[in-house]
Amino acid sequence: MKRVFLPHNLEELWRIIAGEPKADIYAGGTDLLVKLRQNLINTPSLICLERIEELKGVHEQGDEVMIGACSTHTSLLENPIIQRNFPVLTKALNVLASPLIRNMGTIGGNICTASPAADTLPPLYVLKAEVEIRSRSASRQMALKEFILGPGITCLKAGEIVSGIWVKKVPGFNLHHFEKVGQRKALAIAIVSLATLFKISGEEMVEDVRLAWGSVAPTVVTSNEIEAMLVGHRLSRQVLKKAAPIARAIVKPIDDIRASADYRRQVAENLLIRLGSVQK
Amino acid sequence: MKSLEIGRPIPRVDAYSKTTGQERYAADYYGENLVWAGVKRAGIAHALIKDIHIDDAKTLPGVISILTHKDIQGSNRQGMIRKDQPVLADNKVNHCGDAVALVLAEDKASLHKALDLITLDLEPLPGIFDPEKAIGEGAPLVHEGHPQGNVLFKGVLETGDIEIGFKECHAVVEACFELPHQEHAYLETEAGWAILKENGQLKIVVSTQSPFRDRSEVAEALGINVEKVRIIAPYCGGAFGGKDGVTVQTLLGLAVFHCPGRPIKMWWDREESFLASPKRHPARLYYRLGVKPDGALHALDVRFYYDTGPYDHLGGAVMALGLEHACGPYRISNVSLKGFCVYTNSPIGGAFRGFGVPQVTAAMEQMMDMMATQLGLSPFEIRKRNAIRCGDKNPIGISVTGSTGFEECLKTLEEHYLWKKRNEWKSKAGPFKKRGVGIASVMHGMGYGPVVPDFANAKIELTREGKFRVFSGVVDIGQGNASTYLQIAGAILNQDMAHMELVLPDTESALPSGSASASRTTSTFGNALIGAAQSLKHRVLQRAAIYFMAKEIKEVDLIPGGVNHFTTGKEIPLSEMFHILDDSEKVAAYTFTAPTAKENPTEDQNLRLHGVPHLIFSYGVHLCYVEVDELTGNIEVKRYLAVSDCGRIINPQTFEQQIHGGIAQGIGYALCEEFIVKEGRVRTPDLATYIIPTALDVPEMDSIPLESYEPTGPFGLKGAGEISIDGPLPAIANAVADACGVRLFRSPFTPERVLKALKERENREFEH
Amino acid sequence: MKINFVLNGKGRVLNAPSDRRVIDFLREDLGLTGTKESCGAGECGVCTILVDGESRLSCLMFAAQLEGRNVLTIEGLASEETLHPMQEAFVQFGAVQCGFCTPGMILSALDLLKRNPHPTRTEIREGLSGNLCRCTGYQKIVDAVEATACKKEKGPPL
Repeated sequence: MKRVFLPHNLEELWRIIAGEPKADIYAGGTDLLVKLRQNLINTPSLICLERIEELKGVHEQGDEVMIGACSTHTSLLENPIIQRNFPVLTKALNVLASPLIRNMGTIGGNICTASPAADTLPPLYVLKAEVEIRSRSASRQMALKEFILGPGITCLKAGEIVSGIWVKKVPGFNLHHFEKVGQRKALAIAIVSLATLFKISGEEMVEDVRLAWGSVAPTVVTSNEIEAMLVGHRLSRQVLKKAAPIARAIVKPIDDIRASADYRRQVAENLLIRLGSVQK
Repeated sequence: MKSLEIGRPIPRVDAYSKTTGQERYAADYYGENLVWAGVKRAGIAHALIKDIHIDDAKTLPGVISILTHKDIQGSNRQGMIRKDQPVLADNKVNHCGDAVALVLAEDKASLHKALDLITLDLEPLPGIFDPEKAIGEGAPLVHEGHPQGNVLFKGVLETGDIEIGFKECHAVVEACFELPHQEHAYLETEAGWAILKENGQLKIVVSTQSPFRDRSEVAEALGINVEKVRIIAPYCGGAFGGKDGVTVQTLLGLAVFHCPGRPIKMWWDREESFLASPKRHPARLYYRLGVKPDGALHALDVRFYYDTGPYDHLGGAVMALGLEHACGPYRISNVSLKGFCVYTNSPIGGAFRGFGVPQVTAAMEQMMDMMATQLGLSPFEIRKRNAIRCGDKNPIGISVTGSTGFEECLKTLEEHYLWKKRNEWKSKAGPFKKRGVGIASVMHGMGYGPVVPDFANAKIELTREGKFRVFSGVVDIGQGNASTYLQIAGAILNQDMAHMELVLPDTESALPSGSASASRTTSTFGNALIGAAQSLKHRVLQRAAIYFMAKEIKEVDLIPGGVNHFTTGKEIPLSEMFHILDDSEKVAAYTFTAPTAKENPTEDQNLRLHGVPHLIFSYGVHLCYVEVDELTGNIEVKRYLAVSDCGRIINPQTFEQQIHGGIAQGIGYALCEEFIVKEGRVRTPDLATYIIPTALDVPEMDSIPLESYEPTGPFGLKGAGEISIDGPLPAIANAVADACGVRLFRSPFTPERVLKALKERENREFEH
Repeated sequence: MKINFVLNGKGRVLNAPSDRRVIDFLREDLGLTGTKESCGAGECGVCTILVDGESRLSCLMFAAQLEGRNVLTIEGLASEETLHPMQEAFVQFGAVQCGFCTPGMILSALDLLKRNPHPTRTEIREGLSGNLCRCTGYQKIVDAVEATACKKEKGPPL
């Protein structure tokens, strides 16, 4: 039998962690309990963060937004600050797993699980999100893309938790786009995804763009080169076609039961082509 | 309350208990002193069993007993036609899901620990996974002693002269189609519980489609007297053919003798269900079709291979039904059909809604479109010109009699707005989208065929409370037949639902009535029930007439809850009639056996035993709208129409449920469902990897019943349980071809396969 | 551990190992078998319950997490003699076949209508997209939820 702890605040959490240094920490449980079923969890105790109010909620602080790591996907989907400022995130959350999983799973959990196919990661990459990491004695902050090292691997050390995600508002980016290709329309694991932010001028010219592909490499893929190629142009098929081969070159996908690496490469390219017909 | 009527959409009786969570399924039993049973499975596709190490597991606290084949007294073989599947593997493992040892434990945790501690000493053998290779020379044999090697069963049907036929043809189209394993994925995985009672009776409560057959299978495999076995079949949480045959029954039957008096439960988890349960047969089909200049189908040559895995299960019969349906609902004068059902080390191929017909329909209906393209005819026109009618000889040489509404189905489709507006809809595709519309014809035979008697025994009684109690002999696996039985009996007895009672199948109280399968459930049992209800009605009225001192029986009639004497206006409640009738008069039973075809398309008695030919067929035509994404290869089914001739309909709501459900499963079969096993290892072990449609993946569906009258059916009904799964795959394939000019010969049509085909087409065009 | 919570309207203090899955706690310990299990991994939704009014997968929760919560299982939805309007609609619209998905489907539909009282048919499909059904093809389920939502305007609050 494993002991399950439900601390109500951070103080309590640090105390429990001190007493149970080997415990696994979880929030929504949508990943942990699946692993438990597969006999992949061997720790004697579990700490659930769902009761810690300090880790929840969305807080606007000037030109930044702090998202509590234990905010469920549903709570973020329904949050007006997120809806207003980060439609790219809302669009991804909307196709994340299923409403039931979204009611339980949290954004912090999605980050810490660090699945190459995680739906919130590409949007958070284009938003240049930073993670706030806390332990009993310290707090640090780092770029999300530095935090995630590989599939299931992050910079999180023993005794640390991700407490929040800091995202700067992106007022100039007037087109937010997210596309996910899965095996079905819901309850799907991404085969390829692409999150995009555009700053498009009145003359339909790309003034700025950020792109991030999911599920095509061990971690989210971005490309300064492609971004630079698009800036200063209209999103014509010609321009996108020219950039597409680069997308194919920079992704490092694998074959798995859902799709082949070849397909992922092709679609990574094609999702870029789609950008020309995305409605504002 | 109003009495029940035929043809009305009456809400199902089971819906109340199911929406409130009160219904007790086989999986829902947790009795006092419960023992948990579980099975160690091989995990390897083909191997000799050298040893089974159970000692470590045996000494584990909480473990009651561990049993192997050595503990089985009977034949240790189960199966419906050929008894070739061991309860617990003895000398050999034939597929990765084979059961090797049975563990009984005090709780689930000990059970799982014990299963982990059992080790198998296996000597791997080369496996065979392709049915065509399996019948080639030098292929490893699945059953050494089987006289036909790996050929479980071969069937041939021929009419006319195929060689001359093709010589007379103006155009010929040829293709090979490949279809995968499809998993039933019923939401209630295999479950049951059993107890050995003090009187020696073995009682098994199980999620099953065939309680009476289970009873004899359990008795024979375990070497016990069939009289001692009682099977109770609650509502199934889905079955679709996958529970037509033994799952947990024999294992539980074996277990009870090792802890008598204690209830024992076995409930496979999702992974075990996927690993061990039978699937729809993967198939490879070679088709060659020839036509005359006017588009009349003239010659059809078919050769196909069904992969049945290591055991017959119902594989031979599945293949035979495929053979019989291989030509579709058309007239063709020269036909050569050869079907092979082949043993391999793949998962077991068994019954799955459609029973071999979806595979051949997938092939034939795509051939029809390919031929139409070649001739420059519309897909509709070629079907119309060749449509089978009552009075025709069908392609295997059997006269088409009875209700045959296929042409009317086509007419209905032609007049439907979805057909008329198709071009307008297609023209409105957005950027990178291609739209197409496809149709497919369907037909589906009903019942067991000419040899195995398709019979049912209905029983009905008048209760002390003044209700009519129907003893259902055929399981309600979710399709609602139990309710329909009440509707049928209630309509005859002029009762409302409040005066009707239902007893679900129990071999102790119901009478043998066959399986819940073969689109026969409402038809065969319904006919028997009409007889039983009429007989009881007559008896009640006879006695009531005497009671009222009526001159004629015509002066009295049943009313809800009683009998009315018209002449005096007096009534007597049924609860009083109960006391008037002698005990022997309160129960009526009636046997019905479905008629069979008088003609014989084959001298092969074995093929007849496996079900060829059928006499009564349902027909239909399906239409779908699809949109293909050129950038991802994703196919979205946007709209669906099924026009069906399933005879008269007793309950339109239940009928529509069957049509909708079959379409959704058919869409899954076409687009995303593929049970993958590589060298005996399951690659799609759960619902995260084996993908079935969600609510967002199924479009709005229209179902139009074309109510022809089938004289042999209850109130004119024909079977409707399977036909709707036959159409979606070819309709979608034809729509995709219409949308973007590519045809995939291998299903499911995953985005990856579609995108690859689009790319290849693009490359071809570039080369030209 | 002792768990203090409200179950189907009644306050309960019950003992359970803290890591007992809620689905096992409900089905095996409390006999509430209306909550079903089919995949044990959050992929099918048949184990859906409402926790503080929100849908949850009881196969992915530990009993400890019920502490202080208000839990509704399918058994607690109907009052003594009357079905809840959603249950009634499922019956009347033919949304029930084998019935194994039904309890979870109904509870997910209630979560949906709480958030979005007037959903379109597509929104209903989205709201139910975590609950698999293998029998119905979903259409009659969508009909039932749509009808319940329409009725809601006039009828008593859900």
